Amino acid sequence: MPLISASDLTKCYPGVTALDGLTLDVAPGIIGFVGANGAGKSTFIRILLGLLAPTSGSASILGYDVRANALGVRRLVGYMPEHDCLPLEISGTDFVTHMGQMSGLPFGAARERGAEMLRHVGLHEERYRLIGSYSTGMKQRIKLAQSLVHDPRLLLLDEPTNGLDPEGREEMLMLIERTGREFGIAVMVTSHLLGEIERVCDWLVAIDAGRLQYAGSVAAFTERTERLLVEVDDDATAFAARLRARGLGVDARDAVLEIVLRDDAVYDVVRDVAAEHSVPISRLEVARHRLEELFRAPAESTHG
Amino acid sequence: MAEPRAPGAIYDLGYQSYTGPRRGRAYVIRSLVSYSFASAFGAGRSDRAKSLPSLIVATVYMLAIVQVSMASATGMVGLIRYAWFLQFSAFLIALFAASQAPELIVADKQQGVLSLYLSRPLKASDYAVAKLLALVAAMLVVTLGPQLVLFTGRVVLDASPWTTFRAEWTKLFPIVGGTLLTSVFVASIALLLASFAARRGYASAAVIAFFLLTPAVIELLRAVTSGAVKRYSVLVHPIYLISGFANWLFDIEAKRRTVIGRADLPGAVYFDVMLAVSTVCIVAFVRRYRRLEA
Repeated sequence: MPLISASDLTKCYPGVTALDGLTLDVAPGIIGFVGANGAGKSTFIRILLGLLAPTSGSASILGYDVRANALGVRRLVGYMPEHDCLPLEISGTDFVTHMGQMSGLPFGAARERGAEMLRHVGLHEERYRLIGSYSTGMKQRIKLAQSLVHDPRLLLLDEPTNGLDPEGREEMLMLIERTGREFGIAVMVTSHLLGEIERVCDWLVAIDAGRLQYAGSVAAFTERTERLLVEVDDDATAFAARLRARGLGVDARDAVLEIVLRDDAVYDVVRDVAAEHSVPISRLEVARHRLEELFRAPAESTHG
Repeated sequence: MAEPRAPGAIYDLGYQSYTGPRRGRAYVIRSLVSYSFASAFGAGRSDRAKSLPSLIVATVYMLAIVQVSMASATGMVGLIRYAWFLQFSAFLIALFAASQAPELIVADKQQGVLSLYLSRPLKASDYAVAKLLALVAAMLVVTLGPQLVLFTGRVVLDASPWTTFRAEWTKLFPIVGGTLLTSVFVASIALLLASFAARRGYASAAVIAFFLLTPAVIELLRAVTSGAVKRYSVLVHPIYLISGFANWLFDIEAKRRTVIGRADLPGAVYFDVMLAVSTVCIVAFVRRYRRLEA
């Protein structure tokens, strides 16, 4: 059974189409859900939580239809919103306990799991402090703790690294990875920064302007987007032709060749061809299309 | 700043999945009611959050105890007057609602907690109903509680408590019913008004303004009108409304010279209007939340 399944999911607001015929099936694991700001990520999450009715189409989580059984879905899902969502005047432990009860856990179990989750996110020592006194990083971590307190089957994390400093981002990503790998909880994490989340994800879903751009494994996505830039002090066109003859995908732009980095064997081929023909290589660099570039490519070509 | 920890140190206990019971929607609503009830008195919050509700609670109970003590000192049980007490504390009740209705619903909206509630297995209308029940329950502490103190005083102070109890116990119906409807009436108005406010301060101001400005406007109106308009204007004045209702409830003839006496309306009208206003406010309030559900 797919973890998340959407079929021709469309959401129109007056004047804007937030989701445009989204169809996808996602298997359990850590899923990165990427797209620029305003691409429709939050709309998708709100539909999954049953907080927003799609204009047309359907979606389900672990077989539960999000429209027909919104409460059933919410029992299985933990949600960490992007925006502020914390009561500032109560202690961390009281808040997480309360949220556990709000997912149906009896008080004792909620208290126990609440304490455990605060320890998992590294807020054990600060648990009796009022949330209002927490730093931004601590607030993000308690948001994660409340989404985990009822032991969900799926976590929906909306831009969890937003507003964090590099160290905080690193910690948050580590927590996400840990949750997905060791807790056995499926995670869907949204981000507008592909580079940040791809290394913790198994699957990648990319949307732009409400349309699905990519859904598949991270490895396949990397293959599609990673390029080896090679600059030679020689006839670049001839070198490119020789590489193509060896089965590589090559774009030549002036003296710079862009080679599709399918796998590590590409390096060997480049080295061998260069050595065979004594072509001096002046630059060798792994680069990737920026996410936006990837999304905009079709639009740009139509506009010339 | 906390000292840096080794990555593994935080999680050394490993993750335990939860296999215990998961309760249904009724339990979730109940939990929200009791949590909100406690927060209406500032439980688990700062001293500042506790100050106003504690002050109001202390005042109404003090008033009840003073009334009972005076009756005890003078030997006149007639000094214990349920209706008078409800009328007298009406403004304190409104003040309590003005300060705590925003705590219960506007804070969640202002701080974004509402979106966490809505991602839990309860409906948006359940949330609204739970908040209403919590506020009504909290208001019963300041309305019903002191009346029970009066009742107990009345019974215990008498020479033969058992006889008094047998004679008086039927008063418990108007005591409970009257404070309940008064609490629902004030709570539903306060919650509906607060549901339009984006910040707690505005919401409190709106509720206070309603309970202060409506009377002021009515008094002005009464000064320039006469006849039926003047008589019926008491029904739009929340404090007169509660007073008239209390008179009817405890079967008290309003004094001739008072506003309610001069209005000379059938007592049940006060009850009907309070019930109607409460119903309209509750329906409107719950609807405002139901829109949030897909």
